[in-house]
This record gives sequence, structure tokens and C-alpha cells, in this order.
Amino acid sequence: MKNNSDISQELLETIEQYYSNTMPEQERKAFELRLENEPQFNSLVEDIKTLILGIENQSLKEQLDTFHQDIPETTSSSSSGFFSLRKLAAVAIIILTVSGFWWLSTPQHERLYSSYFKPDPGLPTTMSNTSNFEFYDAMVDYKQGHYTTAISKWEALSQKSDTINYFIGVAHLANKNEMKAIPFIEKALENKTFAFADDAYYYLALAYLKNGQIELAKEYLQKSSVKNGKSILLQLE
Amino acid sequence: MRETYKIDHQLQLVNAIKDNDSLALKTFYTSNYRKVELLVLKNSGSEAHAKDVYQEAFISMWNNIRNGAFEPKNDSALQGYLYTIAKNKWMDILRSKRFKVTQSISEERQLFLTHEETIEDDGYTTKLNIVMEAFQGLGQPCKELLKTFYFEKKSLRDIAAKLDIGEHSVRNKKYRCMEKLRNIAIASK
Repeated sequence: MKNNSDISQELLETIEQYYSNTMPEQERKAFELRLENEPQFNSLVEDIKTLILGIENQSLKEQLDTFHQDIPETTSSSSSGFFSLRKLAAVAIIILTVSGFWWLSTPQHERLYSSYFKPDPGLPTTMSNTSNFEFYDAMVDYKQGHYTTAISKWEALSQKSDTINYFIGVAHLANKNEMKAIPFIEKALENKTFAFADDAYYYLALAYLKNGQIELAKEYLQKSSVKNGKSILLQLE
Repeated sequence: MRETYKIDHQLQLVNAIKDNDSLALKTFYTSNYRKVELLVLKNSGSEAHAKDVYQEAFISMWNNIRNGAFEPKNDSALQGYLYTIAKNKWMDILRSKRFKVTQSISEERQLFLTHEETIEDDGYTTKLNIVMEAFQGLGQPCKELLKTFYFEKKSLRDIAAKLDIGEHSVRNKKYRCMEKLRNIAIASK
């Protein structure tokens, strides 16, 4: 790098423009012509380019060390053994960090939801009841946690009772899809004498809670006499 | 159709890396390390070797993307490219006499630091190294400003807002910092 005269602020900015490809077409042509015909100008521009590239290279280099600390641990590639203390410590730190982060970053209503939500246990499925085979077949899937399968089987039924709507709704909720759950549960509740109204209000409230619509959640919790509902209400106040 | 999509995806990745997109750089860095580490560990190297060789390769890859020496051709082109550079670098180290004779880590590491696999001529590499060293030792305020502007590609306006000073003074500061860096580089030649 030669000390060939001072570089003015203006020249520096012109070179920046050229380097970052933001120079207008016409100006660019004139600039390139100068580069070709004036060796001294050319070497000045090269020097500035080297400066910028050097800044970028060094910045990247320094950043790589930070990146390196975040490389995920793998379990297969180690020669020092999976249960080495260092690894266990690292895993523990990761778990703590992740859960701490979850705790900090998750809104209160989401946390409440997660601590209270348990899928509706479902209806008993006895082999003797053959009159409504499809419904109970899907109930078996539901109880095994195959919510998507259960939903599609229930949705295929031609006659949809309030009970079916209710279970489609809670299956959606168990499937972490509260937006889909809400309309089904609300539909079931349109029947004022619905047998599972108490549970339905409770799950509807939970769906709204997950969704962040706290006021609606409170409203429906008040309509339900499920025990947990009361304690959620207390925590929401 | 699917192939086109894959190449599009590679192009996006290459462009993001070209723009020094921090997330893209980090994701790419962290997701390709283990393979290189495995290679080095299986071939008489240590974790420290793996890290050095990988970082060297990563910087070479970045430079080759910047100067257009690398163009993506298929879905895993860049991943493969990075791995190949790292592998070649490690093979070079293994072949080198110094590695065979001495097992002193410091000396091996020294070898990494001076070893450059680039398409540029040596004079250019030396110049670049001088600037990098000069930048490393630059005062923190200047270093931060130049890094934010040239590496993170933040606008003068954004930097001014962050530092809570006028755009004009950021512009002047940046110029003075560049002059400082240039003078250190010239002096250390």
C-alpha cells in the first residue's frame, strides 16, 4: 500500500459506490475509463478496495468464533464418549437456556395454557357398541393421540352431532391448532342442552387463552364449573 | 421444475452470504462444521485443528463468492464446495513436513495462519493480511463503526440513529477512521 497522496472524502465515497455496485451507469463508464488510463488512480482505488475487503474479512473472522460457540452438539461423532462431564454440562446449559428463554419469551397466557391444557380423555370405547362404529373407531385414534386421523374420520361422517363437533374441536386443540378448534366447539355449544357443555366452555376458554384473547377466555371460564377453570381465572385476574 | 427450485435456493443462499446476512452466515457456518470436524478427527487432527481449518475454508469460500469465483450449480453446491476447500487445506497440512516432524500445536497453528489457499497472487494476500491486522488493532469506536458500515452494510442514517448523532458526523467519522486504518496499514508495510 503506497502513500500516494491523500484520499479525499469524496473520492472514498465514489469508490464505495463503485465497489458496492450502486454507481449510476454513466458515471460508472467514466470511472472505469479513468481506471484504465490512469495507473496511479487505479492503484489508489485498489488500495481502498483492499481496505474495505480487509475490514470485511477481519470482521467475518471475528464473527466466526462467536458462531462456533453455537454449533449444536452431536451424539454420534465423539471419541470422548457421550456421557463425558463436559458434554452433560453443555447439554444442561442448553436445556436451561432454552427453557429460560421459553419462560421469558412466552407470554403469560401461553404459559398458563401449557400448564393447564390436557386433552379431553375421550369417551369409553367398548367393543359391544357397534351402532356407531365409525365414531368410536375415530375415538380410538383420538385416545392414542392420532388427532389428525381422528379428525379426518370424524369429518367424514355424514351426520355431525354436537358431540362429534366437540371432539373435532378438542382434537384440533390437542393438535396445537386452536384457530381450527374454536369454531367446532362453538358449534357444539349452540345446543343449549349439550351434555358436555361444562367441558366445552372450559376447552373453548383454553383455546382463546392460547390465542391471546384473554377477555373471551375469562368469559367462558366463568360459564364452566370445571375445577381447573377457577384456578386459571384466579391467575388471570 | 424441482431442480430450478433447488438452484434458486442456492442462489438465495449465495446472495445472502454475499450480503453478509448474519443469520445466513451463522446458519451455514454451524450446520456444516460437524462434517469437517469428523474428517479432521479421523485423520489425525484435533478439535482445534478442525476449527482452524474450517474457519480458514469458510473465509476462502466467502471471498470466492464475493469475487465471483464460485457459482452455484446444484442443490448442495456450496456445502460441497466448503467441504472440499476444508479437505484440501487439511490434506496440505498433513502433507507438510512441519506437521510430520513436530507435533507442537502452536507451530501447527502458526502454519494455518500463514497458509493461504486463494487464487490471488501473493502480493495481494500480503496486503490483505496487513489490512486485517491493522483493522484488528484499530481503536474500538473506529472498528465498530467501520464494521457496521462495511461489513453489516448498515446505512449512515441507521448508524447515526443508533449512535444518536448527526448523519453528517457519522460520515466524517467514517472518513477519519478509514484514514487512520490506511495510515496504520501503510506504516506496517
